[in-house]
Amino acid sequence: MDGRSTLAFGSYADALRMVGKTSEPRTAGTVVSAARIQLFAALIHDGNASYWDADFARRSWGGLLAPPALLMGWLIPPPWLPTGEPRVASIALRVPLPGTTFINAANDAEFLLPIVEGDRLTVVEEVVSVSPEKRTRLGVGHFVETLDTVSRQDRAVVARNRNTLFRFTPHATPMTRAGDDAERSDEEERRQ
Amino acid sequence: MTVHWDRVTVPLELPEVIDEIDYQRVVMNSGATWDYFPGHFDPDYAHAQGHPTIFVNTMHLAGFADRVATGWAGPTSRVVRRKMTLAGSVYAGDTMVGRGRVIAKRCDTSVEPARYLLDLRIEVTNQRGELCCPVELTLQLAAAEPRC
Repeated sequence: MDGRSTLAFGSYADALRMVGKTSEPRTAGTVVSAARIQLFAALIHDGNASYWDADFARRSWGGLLAPPALLMGWLIPPPWLPTGEPRVASIALRVPLPGTTFINAANDAEFLLPIVEGDRLTVVEEVVSVSPEKRTRLGVGHFVETLDTVSRQDRAVVARNRNTLFRFTPHATPMTRAGDDAERSDEEERRQ
Repeated sequence: MTVHWDRVTVPLELPEVIDEIDYQRVVMNSGATWDYFPGHFDPDYAHAQGHPTIFVNTMHLAGFADRVATGWAGPTSRVVRRKMTLAGSVYAGDTMVGRGRVIAKRCDTSVEPARYLLDLRIEVTNQRGELCCPVELTLQLAAAEPRC
């Protein structure tokens, strides 16, 4: 898989034209499931009974609780579809910019209601802002801020997710592990 | 164990959580979250983007921060807000260290019934003590004697 395959390319001016745009509502192909809840909990090594103990979770939440950290994962399409159709990339990756890759820089999520096994989630995405060009230790690029509003089958809004990613073209020379604080320095600069 | 909101004194240090992240755990990121960005499973791609090897994704770091909080507060607690900055990556072969602290305690009466909340600051560092992810997190807890 090529990281470029899901990216839209264009100029900063093209990107600015997307600020304020919202996506059509997109509904997850499958409901929140025990299998994915527990695979994620296994990844994290999280023994929280809300993820593993069906009786406890039913009494406490109405069903196995979806780990809040997996919020974005429910709306990502599977890595292959039998129809051969391309995966729908998140709106942040559809902002046309020159950068050849991306990395996440910041995330601010609010979980208004518990999400439980059996819920089917729908997301509406909005482009909030695109920064002017920034130079970081990772490369040269732009910060793209988006806001996801996530609702469930009864239309109740269950979460709001504000995310900032850095869309950039890497420097020619790879950095060392110790030098990996590019996003921090640039994010701090951006807030000033 | 269940921590009740009305029995928490502020400030309070949470137990440290340590987690060694090997290649399998990083590759599990893609399987568990369906985030197939190649930086999470392809070392050659990660190298070409300037990274020493593959690294965990945002959802993994968020899940680790949540584990630091709810692992202490118990399964009746729930994360209601989490704000995090991805200051540095956690690579395969690294160790994540999570340290949390309760910094405030408040009762939210803007909703019915009132919510009993704790504000936490959590730092996720690597084995060299480098800060990879500072987190502000709000937990909702049960109260033994519900009263604001």
